[in-house]
Amino acid sequence: MTELARILTYQGIPVWRHTRVIQWAAQILSAIVVVALVAWFFANVANAVQERGISYSFSFLSREYHTPIGDTFVPYEPSDTYLYAFGVAALNTLVVAVAGVILATLLGIFIGVIRLSGNWLVSRLALAYIEFFRNVPLLVQLLFWFFIMLVLPPERDGYVIAGQLYVNNAGVSFPWPTGTGQPIATLIWLILAVVAIIAGFVVSRRLSRREVETGRTSYPVLLGCAAAVAIGALGWLLVNAFAGDAPLAISTPEPQGRFARIDGGFTARAGMIVLLIGLVMYTASFIAEIVRAGIQSVGRGQTEASRALGLSQLNTLRQVTFPQALRVIIPPWISQCLNLTKNSSLGLAIGFTELTSVAQTMTQLAPPIPIFIMLMAAYLAMSLTWSLIGNLYNRRIRFS
Amino acid sequence: MATESNPAPPPLSSALPPPRMSVGAAGWIRANLFSTWLSGLLTVTSGAVLVLALWYGLDWVLLDAEWTVVTTLGGQFIIGSYNSEQACPGQNCFWRPQAALLLVTLLLGMGWGVAAGGLAKRIALIAAIAIALLAFLPYSLDKMGLDVRLLLIANLPALLAGWALARYTALGTARWIVILSVAVFLITLVLLRGVPGVPGLQPVLVQNWGGLTLNLVLAVAGIVLSLPIGIALALGRRSNLPVVKSLCVTFIEVFRGVPLITLLFMSQHLLPLAFPQNFPVNPLFRAAVVITLFSAAYMAENIRGGLQALHPGQAEAARALGLPGWQTTLLISLPQAIRNVIPAIVGQFIGLFKDTSLVYIIGMVDIVRVGYRFVSGNTQYLDNAPEVFIFISLVFWVFTYGMSYVSRHIERQLGVGER
Repeated sequence: MTELARILTYQGIPVWRHTRVIQWAAQILSAIVVVALVAWFFANVANAVQERGISYSFSFLSREYHTPIGDTFVPYEPSDTYLYAFGVAALNTLVVAVAGVILATLLGIFIGVIRLSGNWLVSRLALAYIEFFRNVPLLVQLLFWFFIMLVLPPERDGYVIAGQLYVNNAGVSFPWPTGTGQPIATLIWLILAVVAIIAGFVVSRRLSRREVETGRTSYPVLLGCAAAVAIGALGWLLVNAFAGDAPLAISTPEPQGRFARIDGGFTARAGMIVLLIGLVMYTASFIAEIVRAGIQSVGRGQTEASRALGLSQLNTLRQVTFPQALRVIIPPWISQCLNLTKNSSLGLAIGFTELTSVAQTMTQLAPPIPIFIMLMAAYLAMSLTWSLIGNLYNRRIRFS
Repeated sequence: MATESNPAPPPLSSALPPPRMSVGAAGWIRANLFSTWLSGLLTVTSGAVLVLALWYGLDWVLLDAEWTVVTTLGGQFIIGSYNSEQACPGQNCFWRPQAALLLVTLLLGMGWGVAAGGLAKRIALIAAIAIALLAFLPYSLDKMGLDVRLLLIANLPALLAGWALARYTALGTARWIVILSVAVFLITLVLLRGVPGVPGLQPVLVQNWGGLTLNLVLAVAGIVLSLPIGIALALGRRSNLPVVKSLCVTFIEVFRGVPLITLLFMSQHLLPLAFPQNFPVNPLFRAAVVITLFSAAYMAENIRGGLQALHPGQAEAARALGLPGWQTTLLISLPQAIRNVIPAIVGQFIGLFKDTSLVYIIGMVDIVRVGYRFVSGNTQYLDNAPEVFIFISLVFWVFTYGMSYVSRHIERQLGVGER
């Protein structure tokens, strides 16, 4: 009570101008407005749900989906459930996102670096690429590639490059490793291969530290690769000796039958190819600008000093400029990765079954509200994952 | 002897010219194209690729490509099926978007008058002349009537009228231009929508709006609305009131985490449910709401970046001078913060304009959909799809590149990054 009286009479300032009072009033007011608005929307939705008899139960998830999905990376039958089909589509989104991020980053770094090249012509070409692909909607680019793909010849008279790469309107087929008769042997070798890669990294890390500390030339990259290859090859020979069969075989695409359907190898179907080409070329133009800005943010003195120490241009870029530029590059790069993941929802426009397009098909046969909840949860989970990676990295560079 | 071992320098007139290979065109070529053997190799290979690409590209553009597919669509790219018999029965409605365009040109002229030359003049003149030149497209008179052509040419006098208005009346201030811009946007909406009962202005359903006009209307609405909402969200996110802050963070992160295409698709089912049944939740309204909110979430993050980069001394000094909190924010912090992130904001505007191409999800026929519908509906034109989409790309490119050009100009004028 005395507290209240003190506030009310504090130094003659009227109570409605007291900072605390204003702040509390603002919070309560905004909370009331938002809660009222949300409650109104929910009341409307609940009303509509009741009046029009819209279901909001998740029970449809265990029903059979009965709809074919074009591109699958796990076995899928139309008799599988809605939940499984949703998972298949989520996997498709993930595959496109991961492949897209890797390819877009490589292309983006390449274009960003040649944009800064001292060569006028090359730098202008990179600029033209960036200015064009960045300024045209991704949907237009995707439709462009989509129709290019559509008017390619059918499988029977498609293009064959070097007898290995088949390009036609069904997609692009190329050789791909497959397991042989014994899955256990394949699995063992794959585990060994992962071990080999880790060992290679460790060797290269150790050697490069020794090189920095002692100044003795130690060839970290070369010896690291050699270690990885050696362990992998040894594993291959061992598995071969014990199982009597090579762990992996290369399956090459082969036209079969009257319509020359491509069999064997790996076929990236048209929808996925179009989506990947579009996403990669679009996102690479943004990544190129990020890389350029990052490299330019490194002081000129750094480059000059490393050149004066006798490092070659490539080594200057690889060991002096790029590691420093990474601090500036990584945060916007993460947000481009997130954008690429979200833009994969444009698969809807070109007939690639990813999350949004499977959701659209499902809403025609199942209640929309639970589907939307799942859809939002899936996308928010992916974007949270990207933010988490970004935050972890940020923390690492801040404390080092 | 001393004179021999230390000869006097030759007179200036006889000084040797610099080596011919280090100055002039030859010097430039050597420094920029053949500085090292690697650079020379790059020049030769990329030059060869460029020449080949130009050769085959021009060959295709001039000889193989069927541009009739673009000219057949003509007005549909601009306005969709707005002027069709089904949308606007018994009348010619094409004058309505054209009248709106005249008002926009008037505004451009006023901008030129106020800015007195420079970039505003260049943009106004280029835009008006380009529009007027459209009047001389080689269509037959029954495809493109005399009235249409005259209204296009009328953009030139409209530009001059705007310039004169700004020069010789009291309307020639930036404040009036802002007010009039809002007025022109609202008039445009009324003109396009029509007024029931008024002859010549019969209502046209928004479902029939389309083409580039639709993209522009959505982009302008989104830009105008998303900036203030974004500023409010950014301030809310930085406020020390826990309730306000958490509400803003939730909004921003949810809208940034989900793709726009998914939001649009969901709005088709959810927005009609979230409003009372008699509420006019038409596709245009839905698209504008979703695009604005989506863009506002990104805008908030851009502006928050600007606010964070601002030295706290600015706000402290303002408080020390006795400015109340809201004046500190509005007059001291925000102007500097926004100035610092102009490139990011314009980038967001460009993104918003590009994103308007996604409204096909909720059944609106924007410029991209016009092309797509035509190509996929007429199989004889299937082979000519690249022409259509290259044309549409160029249309988008002109607008987006223009926006980034203006942004760079403003940045230079404000001297961002020079202090």
